[in-house]
Amino acid sequence: MSETLTARPALAGIALPGRHGTGNGAPGVTLRERTDLGVVAVMARKGQGEALRMAVASAYRATLPDTARYLAGQTVGFVGTGPGQWLAVSASLGGGALAVDLTAKLAGLASVSDQGDGRAVIRIAGPRARDVLAKGLPIDLHPSVFAPGSAATSIISLMGVTLWQVDETPAYDLVVFRSLAVSFWSWLTDSAAEYGYEVVPATN
Amino acid sequence: MRIRCPYCGERGLEEFTYRGDATVTRPETLDQTAEAAWVDYVYLRDNPAGPHREHWYHGAGCHAWLVVTRDVRTHEILGVELAGGPA
Repeated sequence: MSETLTARPALAGIALPGRHGTGNGAPGVTLRERTDLGVVAVMARKGQGEALRMAVASAYRATLPDTARYLAGQTVGFVGTGPGQWLAVSASLGGGALAVDLTAKLAGLASVSDQGDGRAVIRIAGPRARDVLAKGLPIDLHPSVFAPGSAATSIISLMGVTLWQVDETPAYDLVVFRSLAVSFWSWLTDSAAEYGYEVVPATN
Repeated sequence: MRIRCPYCGERGLEEFTYRGDATVTRPETLDQTAEAAWVDYVYLRDNPAGPHREHWYHGAGCHAWLVVTRDVRTHEILGVELAGGPA
């Protein structure tokens, strides 16, 4: 008998909605797993950088950042993760749809690899978000050097993480390898506990 | 020691891995005639007291290979560039 595999959020049964940590007033941060996102690695083919830029501009009305930045397009945003490398993220093209779309539109210009089932994405938002991250992230998130649209790939507690600032709340999206999602969640909630945190049900 | 990655900005040493001498050049040919050049490339290293060019790999960041010019006496970083040139 064949078994039907169904997609399951990385933190299902782990990230329990509700108020946790110290106190019972307004939480210092809210945490939410972002599920059903399209997450795709895009790497420019040799010598195709300019052509790729133009293809992305016309297909997605998006600009490929030259540095570690997140630039939102109409339906797809692009995060710079290294020279000639990006992570494409989309809430509307979930499942495998984004990879299929990018593969068709960037044929010959970029190598495209679906990461949707291999990564977990967590949104942290609230007045203490910087303090929560500062305990593990070795880079400076002060608003004078890291603002909405700024992005970075670094390590937190030995786990690789790509993050970008979403808005001035401040809110950040954190991308980790799915196999590390539970360990990362353990670090994140430990760090957030002293400020009080609220887990919000997962959505994209 | 902190390294200013051309892509990521200044980062701590824990994000990088030292990958060896950047001053040696791989011989063009595998011919027997190049044996001395290969010995030089694989085994022989200068040991300068002062600025040195080294390969570093930014494994916890942008995954770029860098050429770092470092004063080995003081750890002062004099320059960092992408080993593959501008992307």
